[in-house]
Amino acid sequence: MAWTRRMCLSAAGVLACPALGAPSRAAIRFALTPVFLDNDAAVIAALQAALAEGTGRAVELVQRRTYQEITGALLDGSVDAAWTCGYPYLRHRADLSLLGVPVWNGRPLYQSYLIAAAHDPAGGLADLRGGTHAFSDPESNSGYVVTASDLARLGETPEAFFARTIFTFGHRNVVRAVGGGLTRSGSVDGYVWEVLGVVEPALAARTRVVSRSEWLGFPPFVARADRIGDPAVAACGAALLGLSRSRAGHAALALMYLDGVVAAEASLFDGIAARMVDLGAMP
Amino acid sequence: MASWFRTLPVTVRVPAVTAALMIVTGLVASQGVLTSLRRVQDARLVETARLHVEGLSVALGPFVLREDVWEVYDILERAHAASDGQRLLHTVVADARGQVLAASDPRRAPVGSDVAAFEAGAAAPSVITMTGDPTLRVVSPLAYQGREVGRVVTELDVTDLLAERRRVALWLLLGSAAATSVLTFAGWLAVTRLLRPVSVLVRAMDATAGAPRPVPDGDFPRDDPQLARLFATYNRMTTAVGARAEAERRLAERERFVSLGRLSSALAHEINNPLGGLLNAADTIVAYADRPEVVRQSGQLMLRGLGHLRDVAQAMLDQNRLDRTGEPLRRVDFEDLRLLFEPEVTGRSQCLAWQVAAGDATLAALPATPVRQVTLNLLLNASEAAGHGGRVGLSVTNCAAVLSITVEDTGPGLDPDDLARLLASGPLPPGGGVGLRLAHDTVRGLGGRISHMRSNATTAIRVDLPAGVPGNA
Repeated sequence: MAWTRRMCLSAAGVLACPALGAPSRAAIRFALTPVFLDNDAAVIAALQAALAEGTGRAVELVQRRTYQEITGALLDGSVDAAWTCGYPYLRHRADLSLLGVPVWNGRPLYQSYLIAAAHDPAGGLADLRGGTHAFSDPESNSGYVVTASDLARLGETPEAFFARTIFTFGHRNVVRAVGGGLTRSGSVDGYVWEVLGVVEPALAARTRVVSRSEWLGFPPFVARADRIGDPAVAACGAALLGLSRSRAGHAALALMYLDGVVAAEASLFDGIAARMVDLGAMP
Repeated sequence: MASWFRTLPVTVRVPAVTAALMIVTGLVASQGVLTSLRRVQDARLVETARLHVEGLSVALGPFVLREDVWEVYDILERAHAASDGQRLLHTVVADARGQVLAASDPRRAPVGSDVAAFEAGAAAPSVITMTGDPTLRVVSPLAYQGREVGRVVTELDVTDLLAERRRVALWLLLGSAAATSVLTFAGWLAVTRLLRPVSVLVRAMDATAGAPRPVPDGDFPRDDPQLARLFATYNRMTTAVGARAEAERRLAERERFVSLGRLSSALAHEINNPLGGLLNAADTIVAYADRPEVVRQSGQLMLRGLGHLRDVAQAMLDQNRLDRTGEPLRRVDFEDLRLLFEPEVTGRSQCLAWQVAAGDATLAALPATPVRQVTLNLLLNASEAAGHGGRVGLSVTNCAAVLSITVEDTGPGLDPDDLARLLASGPLPPGGGVGLRLAHDTVRGLGGRISHMRSNATTAIRVDLPAGVPGNA
């Protein structure tokens, strides 16, 4: 999706003036991970507008480079809520509570894709041995845990199985790395890859899916457990769950190719938890 | 210079030399422009490479230090996307060990491969220069926090610079060719105009197949004093040449008359006259056959005449040079002349006065044949001029070493043309005989002179011959 001047001005204006329209109450600070479509200012602006409308408060969207930074900001109270990944949620399950889980194609589930260049003949993970591999983030489920756990199940480690691994800190970057030939293969969020096939077909077409994981819990919206009763956090949760019912929310969801946000239980992420066990990453 | 070039007209050679000089000048100027262009392009190239490398060093430094492959790649990709279609073709970043960290085209330079393959032929940004290759490589160390953390090798696309150079060279070539053509044509026009007077001169010299004619005054280059003087000098030369040709013509004419005169004189005197004497002697023998002394004297005269005829025949055989006999003049020669001449006088009933008073020594100092020839010519002319019943006289005297022969007649005198033949050496007037001019030339050849007097109805022609002149004997 192409950037426009209007989108940039809109996003910059919202980010620069978080208290506009709600001068009497503090703005809600909402963190986004770069794992998502972090280069699309229109999506960010639409989400911000929808949340502001849903909460009745100004919303300040905070972007950080890694999941670790987002989790840290969430835990130290720098932000009120965050859109993170199932893996960091499970790692800090005791401290975090679910606000909602996005629904994609009718289900709050997604897959991790193992991708390679479009012309690469690899038929599975085993065929990628000795190559270079791009991960998204060391705390990303689809961008690291799935492949690492698959290797762990094979008795391998990424460092030993691949000649070299890199972290791109963005699912879109993983597609760029594989499509550009920087690495032979990559681990990417299946939802992101599918959406890229629509918004940036040329980029996605330079890669192909070698294998798909099982369906796993979609990256959730979370807040600190001890602040779940906080009005701002509660309002944020309500706004997220009501996105599909508002015009702004609907627009934001349409831009993100999501159906809505639903409440979910922690059990939704059992598949991830199982992989974490295999990986030895369960706290 | 080739000989064929020297044979070309100067109106062709000078423009040709001008064109050659213009071409050389154009080549030198074009070379200078191309050299300057090369310097400018090299400076642009150095600046581009330096800025590129410096910019990358600033951006890449921390990531190369941490060997962050993705960030390095991300920066390179964005840098190349920003310069899409411009100078940067490919950039390879290596760590301190020389292993590729990332490249703008990872397929050409995979992560972990050796960067040495890309450093071949690469130059430092400060010394990079155009080589004619459309792709140039620049290598530079990557410095961060005061130490070298890696290297950057960049391929620069200089196709546009090469095309620009070719374009400039082409325009220079076309411009030089056009300028040279124009200037050559202008030079040809100017030189042709400058050399027009020379062409006039050449045409004047060649107009009559080698016989130069003067240049008319109207064709003089009035605006060029030097050429005008040259024309005037040429005209004077043509006049002098004409005069010389006229002199040659006169000489040839004179020679012809001399030859004819000699031949006529020889026939008249050396053959005809002796024949007359021989006939007289024969008549005498017939008339006085009973007088032995007269017959003997006439027989001796006939012998001398026949001997003379033999000598004449011999001399004519010796290339018709009668005077080669070299016989000295003697008194008897005048007696022979009288014998030869008297029949003419008698035939015209004329009175002949004959006086030979010169000394033998003076006579002997002169050659017989030419003196007899001159005297006989003058006597024959005098007899013819005196007419019937006239008076003819001969006086031969000497004063010191000069022999004077005076021939008088009572004729009407010589007309101007005859006087010109006898006294002057100028061109012969048309018509008339050759005897007088032959006499004049013979006397002159003997170092003598001829004078003419007319008084008391008598014409006197006097020939003074120096007896002491070497060669006359």
